[in-house]
Amino acid sequence: MPRKDPFILQRPTGRPLRARDALLCVLVTVVALLVVKGQAIRGSGERMDAGIERTVVLAVGQPAGWIADRIGIGDDVERLTARLSPDDALGGEGGFNETVPTTDSPAGGARAGAVVPVTPDAFDPAALGGKPDRLAELGTLLVAGDSLAQPLDVEMARRLAADGVRTVRDAHLGTGISKSDLLDWGSQALSEVRGNEPDAVVFFLGANEGFPFDAAGGESVDCCGPEWAAQYATRARQMMRTYRQDGAARVYWLTLPLPRDPARQEIARSVNAAILTAAAPYRAQVRVLDMTAVFTPDGRYRAAMDVKGRSTIVRRPDGIHLNDAGAALAAEIIVDRLKADFTKLGSG
Amino acid sequence: MVFPTIQFAIFFPIVLALSWALMRRQAVWKPFILAASYVFYSAANPLFCLMLAGLTLANQAAAQLIHRTEDEPRRRQIVAAAIAIDLGTLGVFKYYGFFAEEVNAVLDTFGLGLPLPLAAIALPIGISFIVFQAISYTVDVHRRLIEPASTIDFALYLSFFPHLVAGPIVRAREFIPQLAKPRDPTKVAVGAGVFLIVVGLVKKVAVADFLAREIVDPVFGVPQAYSAPDVALASYAYAVQIFCDFSGYTDIAIGLALLMGFVFPQNFDRPYRAQTFREFWRRWHMTLSRFLRDFLYIPLGGNRGGKLKTARNLMITMVLGGLWHGAAWGFVLWGTIHGLALVVEQLLRERVRVSLPAWLKWALVFHVVVLAWIPFRAPDIGLAATFASRLADWGPATLWTLPVVGIVVIVIALQLVADKPLDILRVRFESLHPAALGASMATVIVLVTATVSSQGVPPFIYFQF
Repeated sequence: MPRKDPFILQRPTGRPLRARDALLCVLVTVVALLVVKGQAIRGSGERMDAGIERTVVLAVGQPAGWIADRIGIGDDVERLTARLSPDDALGGEGGFNETVPTTDSPAGGARAGAVVPVTPDAFDPAALGGKPDRLAELGTLLVAGDSLAQPLDVEMARRLAADGVRTVRDAHLGTGISKSDLLDWGSQALSEVRGNEPDAVVFFLGANEGFPFDAAGGESVDCCGPEWAAQYATRARQMMRTYRQDGAARVYWLTLPLPRDPARQEIARSVNAAILTAAAPYRAQVRVLDMTAVFTPDGRYRAAMDVKGRSTIVRRPDGIHLNDAGAALAAEIIVDRLKADFTKLGSG
Repeated sequence: MVFPTIQFAIFFPIVLALSWALMRRQAVWKPFILAASYVFYSAANPLFCLMLAGLTLANQAAAQLIHRTEDEPRRRQIVAAAIAIDLGTLGVFKYYGFFAEEVNAVLDTFGLGLPLPLAAIALPIGISFIVFQAISYTVDVHRRLIEPASTIDFALYLSFFPHLVAGPIVRAREFIPQLAKPRDPTKVAVGAGVFLIVVGLVKKVAVADFLAREIVDPVFGVPQAYSAPDVALASYAYAVQIFCDFSGYTDIAIGLALLMGFVFPQNFDRPYRAQTFREFWRRWHMTLSRFLRDFLYIPLGGNRGGKLKTARNLMITMVLGGLWHGAAWGFVLWGTIHGLALVVEQLLRERVRVSLPAWLKWALVFHVVVLAWIPFRAPDIGLAATFASRLADWGPATLWTLPVVGIVVIVIALQLVADKPLDILRVRFESLHPAALGASMATVIVLVTATVSSQGVPPFIYFQF
């Protein structure tokens, strides 16, 4: 039995101090953190969506970051504590900045008469009258993306466990293709492909898009016009190229079901158009699975829909993500497509 | 707003400084803290503040009416109406979706095809804690245990940000008297507060989130992919995770309140050292246990009325306690297991005179508690069954790493060791100079934030309840 009666407020332990001691204690903590973590605070603020919270965090983070830059302790602390981090060090290889042209000037874009040659692996034999190009076995499936990839990743893993498929789940919350300061998906895609050599990749991302892209001359390309979509498509295509592994793997890239918020709908439409354009050269290996048509037909948002004859809520209350039932429906569509592409699949 | 975030690290020092600066001027201090608490709550969704304000006004009006009414049947009607508003609010936000889907499923079975309107309703964070505190206030006024507070005191009691979103469930008669006069600025438990904040941060960020990432989430997500050793370790790891996550939150909440001069009730007292289920419930989520005891078990009749009625009351209390966590059959099963365990324990205590060794009693209680966590954590009953069935499927231990096993063993072992060595450590920490306390807190924050992935700190488990 407990020694103390839990139902009576107990006097706090320790010697009582003055309120100004409490403030001194907190002040020391705050100053130490500003000096050591100033750059991290600034970085967090820069990654936030526009709004009052971002303004407040940046109001503290920018001067704190400036101080931390000059003192330089933060970098030493980062180095000392780096081993504690659960994140993989990507090293930057394959990142968007390596290969993405940031301008449509002659140096960065196409010149007259110069085109990227089409390679044979761009063709699905079925399109040329041959047998469909099916892969023998789905050994490893990578499910990647942002928060949209959850709980889809778990749903996929459950459905394919009986087939002996190893499902690697690689969801990174709060990330985006247009938001590469938190995670560069170009590097991440390369790292995952090298580390896991997946036979198939399911990619579902887009809850945090709409951030401006950097362009030449310090300009930025704001969402969501053709220039922004072109930049997005270029990055997406780079990832598709990585994931398809020269034709050795299949990629299932999900378009975005439209979100409830009209401002976010504009972003989603631009992202979906970019995905379709990005996938065009790789149609033999990259399947664009249209979630817009499934969840938001005719471009209208709906929280519930008919699933197997029963009205079912398929979206989370935030009006962006799929809930468990929605993820299950998406997983069903993906598994059907996987079965068409892989021969030894079907018991799940 | 979540405690271990940059936003809160900016918010709290400002509020703390202004709170002590304004403390002597209560007419200014109270509106200030009330506004700060609403700012804190609005970070999740500003619309939720309307619900909080609505519950505040409704319960305060009911309390005032009850206090002014002498006629007992009328008083009962008012308290019933207030409870109906509180539980109705909880029901709409928390249980409507579950209820509508279950009714639809039943109707569908009979081919009736009369679906209820389905809507994805956002659950206001901490709604259960807010509703429970509101009920306790109104009922305690009805029971004449307390007099109605002023509206601002009651509003502060419901919304005070350290306990707003995940408890502890503070009773009005514990908190409102602390608002009667300014907190004494010469008697602030700084050492105790900082110690609790530091311990809470380590529990939440370094232990709970680590275990969730490394073993609990993967295994509970896809139990089919793992065999007995991994599944067993995941069960123990979840027991440790949920303890560290929830008690870590309340440690931080109690510590923050202490720095502001307020005392909250204890919420955990090393629950995994319990040798009986009754003892477990006196150590685990203690403020919920006493709420269920005072507002459900005793009104149902408690242990008066014979063994059968006592057993019935225990079962009702525990099943509803399970359902309080959320609208899912897994929570109902969890509550049922604990209810049955309490009933069986009570029967055995009365009929069987054989005394088991202490270690055996502990092992028995601990393992039933661990097993009961499986339906609590599993996404649905089907997966809970799959998870349990994997315990019989021997295979390789793929997730047994030294850090995971070490942390699970250490946390459980720390619950079993004697108080004294831990007390000595705590007393030494608490007696440090305030500047040293601050430096210690900064060091711990830097170290635990280094263990946070780029995705940030996951929400506390109890935020969803």
